[in-house]
Amino acid sequence: MNNRNVLSKIISLLIAIGFLAIILLPIIFVAATSLKIPLEIRTSGTLFPQGGITFENWQKAFRNVPLTKYLFNSTVVAISSTIITLLIAVPTIYTTVRFKTGGAVLPSLVLGTYVMPPIVVTVPIFAIVKILGLQDKLVGLILVHSMMNIPLAFWLLDSYIRNIPVELEHAAWVDGYSKFDTLLKIVYPLIKPGVLSTGVVCLIMSWNEFLFALILTYSEASKTFPIGISQYIGEHGMQFGEMSAAALAGIIPIYILVFIFSKNLVEGLGRSGVKG
Amino acid sequence: MAIPAWIFLAFFSIIPLIYVVSTSLTKSTLAQPFKDFIWFNNFKQAVLDENFGRSLVNTFLFAFVVTTLETFFGFLLAYAVRGIRGLNTILRSIALLPMFTPPVAVSMIWKLIYDPNSGLLNHYLMKWGLTKGLIAFLGDPKLAFPSIMFADLWQWTPFCFILCYAALQALPKAPFEAAEVDGASGWRVFRKLTLPLVLPQVIVVFLFKLLISLKVFDLVYMLTFGGPGNTTQVASFYIYRVAFKQFNTGYAAALSFLMLLIITIIATLVTRAREIFMRSSE
Repeated sequence: MNNRNVLSKIISLLIAIGFLAIILLPIIFVAATSLKIPLEIRTSGTLFPQGGITFENWQKAFRNVPLTKYLFNSTVVAISSTIITLLIAVPTIYTTVRFKTGGAVLPSLVLGTYVMPPIVVTVPIFAIVKILGLQDKLVGLILVHSMMNIPLAFWLLDSYIRNIPVELEHAAWVDGYSKFDTLLKIVYPLIKPGVLSTGVVCLIMSWNEFLFALILTYSEASKTFPIGISQYIGEHGMQFGEMSAAALAGIIPIYILVFIFSKNLVEGLGRSGVKG
Repeated sequence: MAIPAWIFLAFFSIIPLIYVVSTSLTKSTLAQPFKDFIWFNNFKQAVLDENFGRSLVNTFLFAFVVTTLETFFGFLLAYAVRGIRGLNTILRSIALLPMFTPPVAVSMIWKLIYDPNSGLLNHYLMKWGLTKGLIAFLGDPKLAFPSIMFADLWQWTPFCFILCYAALQALPKAPFEAAEVDGASGWRVFRKLTLPLVLPQVIVVFLFKLLISLKVFDLVYMLTFGGPGNTTQVASFYIYRVAFKQFNTGYAAALSFLMLLIITIIATLVTRAREIFMRSSE
């Protein structure tokens, strides 16, 4: 290796470290703020606590608002809606890719809905949910979230299904497998990493979703985490310590999930982006 | 097995869109749907509505500025660190974090950073003598929008980075080996080989993020609520206000329809432009 190469390696390394620092700095600052003494938060914005560490903000965050309830609601909504999304999306995308069911129209229609800003359908969705008597109920939000994530699941799963050699399935049909059996016993094991990363992405998108949750839930019993903590801005005044703790309480589960599945997620996103 | 997809389309796009179109011709309110048929009066009002025009301009300004910067920096970063294999696994895992952080939490993080009294930014700007007084980033009409954009940059540049990185990894090896044998300079390889090969994919990343950015709502709702004045009001937020704060759903439906129309036209145009571009580059 010559000097030029060493130099360019060092520059690359410095850029990578700088990039990491920019990503992590805001998160570290919020974590540090959640541990600062409230008086210090009001008067100074140093990165790390200067006047000692306290768990007061964390205790208050769980005591002053029903944070546990919000987190519980979000968990229920995210898990249920993801299961519904996958149950609908996996068979559908398999048949549309492999048997061209619905022709070219169906996939482009489904993906087309992804272009549509959700605000466009909030008024009708609000009306439909109300007619069904599901407003302010978790079931209503679960159904809306599972619908919302279907185009995303289509987009993420597409390349995985396309990459399976069709000969494998032909062999299965010769052996007398039905379409459904083929999907379950031959195709599913092969696309499992894709289904996994798609599931994780849908789960997180539902957990993070704000607009539909904002218009469909209003009582404390049905609010999800984003709606619950959004009240820290405005209604409760600026309680930055409590707010930081509450925000982190909803961020940490997501980050754990992302770290566990990071390999899958990077691969899934990369494939969908690259295929063009 | 495709029936569920049709049900999805029926409930999530076909019925809602019919509902939007029919409601847009009425004086509906949130409590009284389909009240008084008034033909195209809502559309007439919308065309003359300065706030709506302004919110559309804001939406496109936001989407184009952030998407351009995010794709540019994302690609640059991906290109810069492509050589260091070992660190990249960690780097990409960390880079996943911002895009998966709940937008509400992202807003809170940046609200805190921008705050005059408790914020990181003002503290260090003052400490290092870069500014004389405290700056209300989100309260200043000139700074509020760029501040929202910066929060979006933090959240989505890593996403563009991951996609661009994958695109760079997927490039064929042979042409680069040939170029190395020929002793081509780094800049020449980049300009003549890397860039033309990877550009179509980078454009895909750009378009995909552009479509996400046109939906912007959460950050504006949380960081400025459209203010100060109406300086940061974007289309989604304005429609939300008309429908769920003023309960004027008939008018909101007309606005939604117009917004969807404009976005569809733009999406079609950029897709065509991309097809033409890709054909000519072959």
